[in-house]
Amino acid sequence: MVFSIAHHFLTDAPSAEELAQDVFLQLHATLPTLKSEEHVKFWLRKVTAHRCIDYQRRRKLPQVSLDEAPEPMSPAQSSDPLVARRLQQFVASLPEKPRLIVILRYQEDMLPEDIATVLAMPVATVKSYLQRSLALLREKVTRTMGEVTI
Amino acid sequence: MTEINKNPNLLEDALRNALRREDAPEGFALRVLARALPQASAAQEAQRASWLSIFSQPLLRWSAVAAVTICLVIGGIYYRNLQRQRAEGEAAKQQLMLALRIAGSKLQLAKEKVNEINTSRPEPQPQNRSPRSRS
Repeated sequence: MVFSIAHHFLTDAPSAEELAQDVFLQLHATLPTLKSEEHVKFWLRKVTAHRCIDYQRRRKLPQVSLDEAPEPMSPAQSSDPLVARRLQQFVASLPEKPRLIVILRYQEDMLPEDIATVLAMPVATVKSYLQRSLALLREKVTRTMGEVTI
Repeated sequence: MTEINKNPNLLEDALRNALRREDAPEGFALRVLARALPQASAAQEAQRASWLSIFSQPLLRWSAVAAVTICLVIGGIYYRNLQRQRAEGEAAKQQLMLALRIAGSKLQLAKEKVNEINTSRPEPQPQNRSPRSRS
């Protein structure tokens, strides 16, 4: 979960592993204060999310904008791993907070209310980010991949 | 055939597929443990050092030395007094025992004298009663 969130956010395996290790070391120090398994899961998601944003800001990782993302050679199928790869790239090109919200929504299958709690922001803001991100991704898919069918 | 860019649900499904959980690289847990162990021992070391760090200030260090010295001096004096009192008590006890022995022998001597006097004195004779007293 931790590594996966970090990897989808940073799109860099060594950085994601370093971040995940930091999260687990912090967990080791904080574990006595956590009361249940659910609490641990909530804590891990929250700390990972905040560390992802901090890490990105600190390292100033290059961010590919949607417009700069390369165009595919031909329309592809959604079951194709290449489609999944392109979607990951599109998600990685989203701004920090919308990207994190999309990852928590579709990787962790979290509800907007839970995402709002983890990121300490209003539910309406989370929903708004989600809608805008989906619209942006749909637009990008249409523009770059043509008719993607399943 | 349904286009994912036209059907919101299909786009969401495609996102779930693209963003499905990935396992951490092999050996990840061992690498975390390898980092955690030195940190744990460093934390213990820091805790120990924080105790000793109070002696890094000269005033506190010399105060501690003075306190220890005073404690040692007071302890030494107390111990010497205790030893002296014990020795005095022992001497007094010896003197008392000697005195008791002397007193015992003197008493024995006096008792012997009294017995000797009693054995050497004649028995007193009984006296006659007067007639007046009889009437």
